[in-house]
Amino acid sequence: MKKIKLLIMTLAILLSIGGAFATRPHYDCTFSTQYFWNGSGYSPAGQFGVNFGCLSSANSCSYVLVNGVYTQCRVGTYASLNADGLPSKK
Amino acid sequence: MIKRQVFLETISALLIMLFLYASVSKFLDFKTFIGEMNNQPLPNSWTPFLVWAIPLSEIAIATALIFERTRLAGLYTSLVFMIIFTLYAGAILLHFFAYVPCSCGGVISKLNWRQHLVFNLFFVALSVIGIILKRGNSFKTIITTKNKNSFV
Repeated sequence: MKKIKLLIMTLAILLSIGGAFATRPHYDCTFSTQYFWNGSGYSPAGQFGVNFGCLSSANSCSYVLVNGVYTQCRVGTYASLNADGLPSKK
Repeated sequence: MIKRQVFLETISALLIMLFLYASVSKFLDFKTFIGEMNNQPLPNSWTPFLVWAIPLSEIAIATALIFERTRLAGLYTSLVFMIIFTLYAGAILLHFFAYVPCSCGGVISKLNWRQHLVFNLFFVALSVIGIILKRGNSFKTIITTKNKNSFV
């Protein structure tokens, strides 16, 4: 019985950890179209460092659309960049 | 008796797989998980706590289920966790919240909320069966030990 138990438990642990690694997403969200929350909905944010920046904070700065759901991509506070390249915090 | 024990081991293994897979998936894509937590209809101030508390609790439950001594506690905690997740899925389906968020990490995120509810109910049932079997085993062990002692 101990052998059966050991076999079942080992299989369960290996399958779950292996499965998690195997189904790990392999993409970098920063390469997808970035959106930001404008207070009432999501709008395209443009190019990072050109059209928008992220001020240091623990908030969600930009989002990407994953399976129809806006998911956090960059961390910080969204700031649109003006013509001088300076952030104008929204 | 052996059949019952193998069944209990299988139930424990399925629950271990669920919790271990869910927690490791979250840690492997932690940034997305934080985003998903922020995307849930819960206060974002809870996110720093929840993003650690949920996967660490899942690992703790999986660990408790591995060992015979802690298995019953693991099964009870697993039942409580699955009931909370089930109620949450039910609340989302009944539009208790302002919007419908995405579900959790890994391949489980491919399920919609209705499938999620059924999936959770299945594991609630497994936890209940596991508790019944485990309590039955413990009870039988006590009776056997008592009987053996009375013969000595």
